[in-house]
Amino acid sequence: MTTIEPMIEVDGVSKWFGDLVAVSDISFEVGPGVTALLGPNGAGKSTILRMLCGLTGPARGTVRVLGGDPRRDLGLARHIGLVPQQEVTFETLTAFEFVRLAAVLHGLGHPDGAAALALGVVELDPADRRPTSTYSKGMRQRVKVAQAIVHQPHVIVLDEPLTGLDPRQRLHMINLFQRLGEDGRCVIVSSHVLDEVERFGSRVLVMVQGRLAAEGDFHAIRELMDDRPHRVRVRSDRPRVLATALLDAEAALAVRLEGADTVIVDTDQVARFRRCVAAAAQRSDAHLWEVTPLDDDLESVFRYLVGR
Amino acid sequence: MTEIRAPRRHPTPRTPGAVMSLYRLMLTSQVTRTRVIGLSALGLVSVFVGFAIGHAHLHDALRQGTRFINGFGLSLLVPVATLVFASASLGDPNEDGTLVYLWLRPVARAKIVAAAALASFTVTWPIVTIPLVISAALTGGGRSLVVGTVAGVTVSMVAYIGLFVALGLRVKRATVWGLLYIFVWEGFVATGNNTASRLAVRTYARSVLSHITGETFRVTDIASPWRWLVPVAVALVALAYATRRLSRQDVA
Repeated sequence: MTTIEPMIEVDGVSKWFGDLVAVSDISFEVGPGVTALLGPNGAGKSTILRMLCGLTGPARGTVRVLGGDPRRDLGLARHIGLVPQQEVTFETLTAFEFVRLAAVLHGLGHPDGAAALALGVVELDPADRRPTSTYSKGMRQRVKVAQAIVHQPHVIVLDEPLTGLDPRQRLHMINLFQRLGEDGRCVIVSSHVLDEVERFGSRVLVMVQGRLAAEGDFHAIRELMDDRPHRVRVRSDRPRVLATALLDAEAALAVRLEGADTVIVDTDQVARFRRCVAAAAQRSDAHLWEVTPLDDDLESVFRYLVGR
Repeated sequence: MTEIRAPRRHPTPRTPGAVMSLYRLMLTSQVTRTRVIGLSALGLVSVFVGFAIGHAHLHDALRQGTRFINGFGLSLLVPVATLVFASASLGDPNEDGTLVYLWLRPVARAKIVAAAALASFTVTWPIVTIPLVISAALTGGGRSLVVGTVAGVTVSMVAYIGLFVALGLRVKRATVWGLLYIFVWEGFVATGNNTASRLAVRTYARSVLSHITGETFRVTDIASPWRWLVPVAVALVALAYATRRLSRQDVA
């Protein structure tokens, strides 16, 4: 069996800014293919990605990219492409000039051709003479992707690269990242949108509050997230009867009455609860006014993963 | 695992290509309409004053002209204009986050700093020197005042560029800190005693101007090689610091 060498190795890494702990004792390895870094805003994703590119160093632990230290090894920059989170580009330059500059600084033999090719990959016109300051957010995002891949790096780091893209461009970019991954490149993409990560169909690292909360195949993580206890608010004209019916149907772990018309339901079987709630209301001769999940936001999911 | 092919690169480092590209980028980034108009207006003031001195038919035109070039040109226009452009050369990309597009490239940090310094000099020198030379000529101070102005401006600008490129990387709101340095340190503290005055770029520029025009000032004079060498040394040390800083700092 062939062992695939990890392209990125993060070992016991912590990083803090003053009193703020941005990343706390994180270790993981990433090989070829697409890996998604998932987590809410402020989870430390960007800090990790910046460390992978050497833009900041870890306060503790080690980061190795292709066996080297990205903070110290200047030559490693040849093999790393970054789409940073910030929207800004060199505003006086056209997209072609911007990407060509990257090609020149990487010492490519034919910077014009390389820049035109990279812009073509992200479906931008190399002949467009408008400065990037006039571009929409989505177009700038594509320019940033083009400058990150113009030198065909082995490691591609993308910090929220789908922000501002329309659905068609999102799909195009996701396909591009998958192609790059299939080509043997290490593509690491951060996102705080669960559905976005689902479409990568990739390995996932989940970060919450500076810690690695989970890692593995996306589907396993998704199941883990779905199996967690959920809390749902149900409003009805007969809440007490409805609550009893839900307990009888084994669709609820616990129920709590609130006010005259509300019952709060805890369940660890969301699908079963969804199927049962209407039937239970019908059997109880109750009118359903509202069924609202109270903890279906990503923050709750992440909190669950941390507390697990 | 799929084999990854690296793109074709030049067999030798394309130093001129990289540095020239950085230079052009920084040149276009620094030259904003507001900066050019504001500083050109300041330069225009010097032309008007030079004209006024010249038309006053003073018997000591050289002396008055030298005093004006020292008091306005070397003490105000040169440091302020240099501060505006040089501190922005790396300070702006550092603050707006575009520095990452230069930093994450296999380009020696010294080349980035050198490109920034060179671009700052290219922009600032004509904006400052042209009006001051016209002003010097209009005062009627003669050829020595014109030559002294060019030499004084150039010497001090070299030192200021080094200092302010480094300052732009080191602090946020570099313009404010730079103005404090210009007006509080150079304009006030350094005029207090000889030791402090030797720690002001202005002293060396004034010494060059004085040496060429033959007009003396009451304050410290600097001996011949040092008035030329110290500003260059200051620039080199400051640019070395900026290179080190760029290599080690966190990039947004």
